Amino acid sequence: MTADASQTPTGMPDATVVTNVADAPEVAAADVPPELLADSLRQYVRAWWLRVRSGNSGVLPVVLAIVLVAVIFEVITPEHAFLRPSNLVYIFGLSTIYMVLAMAETVVLLLGEIDLSIGAVALIGGVIAFKLVQQPGPDWPWWAAILAALACCGVIGALQGTLVARLRIPSFIVTLAGFLLFSGILVVVLGGADGTVGVNSSVANQRVIYDLVQGLIVPVVGWVALAVVVAAAGAALWLRAAGKRRQGLTAPPASVTAIRIALVALVGVAVVLICNGNRGTSLVKVEGIPWVIPIVLVLLGALTMLLQRTRFGRYVYAIGGNPEAARRAGISLAAIRIWAFALCSATAGLGGILLGSFFYGQYSTNTADPGQVVLYAVAAAVIGGVSLFGGRGKAIHGVLGGIMIGAIAYGVSLLSLGQLTTPLQYILPGGVLLGAVLVDVQSRRGTGSVTGV
Amino acid sequence: MIDPTAADLAAADVPPELLAQSLGQYFRAWWVRVRSGDSGVLPVVLGIAIVAISFQIANSTFLSSQNLVNLFEQSTVYMLLAIAEIFALLLGEIDLSVGLVMGLSSVTVAELVQPDKANLPWWLAIILTLLACSAFGALQGWCVARLRMPSFIVTLGGLLILEGVAIIVLGGSLVGIGNTQFINERVLYDIFNGEFRPVIGWILLAVLVGVFGPALWLREARKRRHGLETPPPSLTALKIILMAAAGVGIVAICNVNRAHSGTIEGVPYIIPIVLVVLGASTVLLQRTRFGRYVYAIGGNAEAARRAGVRVPTVRIWGFVLAALTSGIAGVLFASWQVSLTTNIIKAANSYVLLAVAAAVIGGTSLFGGRGKTIHGVLGGLVIGGIYNGLYLIGVSSQVINIVVAGVLLVAAAIDVLSRRGAPRQA
Repeated sequence: MTADASQTPTGMPDATVVTNVADAPEVAAADVPPELLADSLRQYVRAWWLRVRSGNSGVLPVVLAIVLVAVIFEVITPEHAFLRPSNLVYIFGLSTIYMVLAMAETVVLLLGEIDLSIGAVALIGGVIAFKLVQQPGPDWPWWAAILAALACCGVIGALQGTLVARLRIPSFIVTLAGFLLFSGILVVVLGGADGTVGVNSSVANQRVIYDLVQGLIVPVVGWVALAVVVAAAGAALWLRAAGKRRQGLTAPPASVTAIRIALVALVGVAVVLICNGNRGTSLVKVEGIPWVIPIVLVLLGALTMLLQRTRFGRYVYAIGGNPEAARRAGISLAAIRIWAFALCSATAGLGGILLGSFFYGQYSTNTADPGQVVLYAVAAAVIGGVSLFGGRGKAIHGVLGGIMIGAIAYGVSLLSLGQLTTPLQYILPGGVLLGAVLVDVQSRRGTGSVTGV
Repeated sequence: MIDPTAADLAAADVPPELLAQSLGQYFRAWWVRVRSGDSGVLPVVLGIAIVAISFQIANSTFLSSQNLVNLFEQSTVYMLLAIAEIFALLLGEIDLSVGLVMGLSSVTVAELVQPDKANLPWWLAIILTLLACSAFGALQGWCVARLRMPSFIVTLGGLLILEGVAIIVLGGSLVGIGNTQFINERVLYDIFNGEFRPVIGWILLAVLVGVFGPALWLREARKRRHGLETPPPSLTALKIILMAAAGVGIVAICNVNRAHSGTIEGVPYIIPIVLVVLGASTVLLQRTRFGRYVYAIGGNAEAARRAGVRVPTVRIWGFVLAALTSGIAGVLFASWQVSLTTNIIKAANSYVLLAVAAAVIGGTSLFGGRGKTIHGVLGGLVIGGIYNGLYLIGVSSQVINIVVAGVLLVAAAIDVLSRRGAPRQA
């Protein structure tokens, strides 16, 4: 026995290391964040490009794909209508459910698990919030209704997470059962197969929920808010990087920090400009940033902070990368898993509330098919760049993937293709999903990266 | 070595026929195996019994011959889709597209026999449809096996694409096969809705038992003669008698007149159809080299590769078989629904999760290498039984999902917990 064990480790691995010695630094560099290697802007860009080429391309492919889709639709839509501000704003609203659900799904995918129930859970969350503000009825204040709905969804997620984490029933099965269960309960909560629930936009308390997607921020306030956000975020970013540099920690070069701040400001100005244009008629003005944009941004920021900057987030990535190693490092797998499922479901609940608001505050059993929604959410996350196998992905990927799905769905509907519209709204996202994964698989195949699928 | 529990544990993984010389020993060996978590179809058979007894208590028409035939008819689509899914699950893959392959198949076959369109004979329409489904399965299998894309994603993308393709094939808003003037539509309609005359049913049963009984007996007698491990003769006799009794029961139930007025009696065509699919898939998986390779890959793909199995080829064929079986389900689905609309295509998609549920409830593992197609049939029967029974006692179809969810969870929990106590981790 001992003889065998001592013989096996020698041989192949050593040989490969020796022959690859010339490539070794490049391969190693490819997995390292560029700021660890770069002292100047040029070095930073070179290190970043090395990383992209190795398949670790982050948001680059999906951003390029969104630009490509936008350009194609702009060219082929009649009257080049795709990039009109009214359409862009509408696409954001349409994509909201996919963006939020894809972010929710990302939390669980990072663990290497899957949640098939979030479509149904999202709709339940929405219906609960809508029911609680009904008047006559419970007539809760809007914030209490939303909190109660999110809490319900969180508990649902925690229950499913407990079955996954404690009993070790595969998450696919637990959440498949959850999907069946909660789509059934959804109909009961709605009050039967033809039940409906809506918020009345003329009641102040219900108006808030109606406005979550439909409401607009006065243009001036939009500019002021943008200025505040850019100033605060810019200062924070700059000071943090400066602090790191002062203490001798690795930080990106100052020029990179400046470019980042400038980019944030530029994108912000563009968004506010687009939204503040009049999208209505000269008689009935429609202008201003829809509330849903800051809502999604805040959610994105919160999830990003949670996943990238807290201990919880590091544990999530650790478990997704290698659960056994994480367990041996002293991480409580069950606790993290349960919290992640709860977080996923609560986020999904918010998505459901926004979905109802997007449909002009009306909910019925026809609002959305919970099975379809969850498949699109998984597709959005994967298109955005989240791995199905855990440990790789960020919340921003969900947002970008969701925009992609919404942009395709709406772009196709602009083409006035008649009977082909609906089929293409299925076929194109399916094709994009396959293309995204194919590119991912192929780009990882040729590299030294072992984190591939 | 002398420790009796060790012998028990070792025995637990061995088929009882290898240990048993008599019927009593056989059952004892089987029981050891069940206790160790390798319970085969036992839990799902118990589940069917529980479902049957509870609904019979709630509504005395549940076990009437009329309702039993009805129940079987409602379960056939679940059964076939579960068999399709099992081909993928055994490989350790998943196929999310089976529901929409069924949807596409149903629309295609109905379109192909339309007298004012393609006007193909029914058999050619079925063959072309099944070929198309198989080709699609091969394409998905190729993406999984050659491009190494995860099957979850490939088949998720596949189902989105199929949904669009099915709507395009449907063309307008509706296609039907209910026009009995046209022989081709008539045949398709009869696949689900037709039945053998009672006398033919008995004759078929007699032939079946007359062929399979002696074949089984002779095979095992030959094994014994050659000194191979075989179950005791009393067990072989018992198997044949049980098979004949089950056959007589089914034919007797089906031959009762089940019409409210007039006469509907006889074995529905779909019973032999399901049996043929079940038999063919069982032989393919249990008795051929291909089947052994499927289990080998599902158990450990790398080990199978090193043993010289051409893993990509087997994987591609697995997906072809999944799509082919879903295609057969689609022909039945078209015959069942009679008129097909875009809403029916969407509904077809919702069958996929129930198909996975049926396979798992039946006892198939989600992680590959463990399960048989009979599990799909039994799991499909559980789901069909629950739908039928709850419908009988007047529960809305949405609430039925809640019960199915509960059954699925219980099935998975039993599986996980029974294996936890087992000596070897599966």
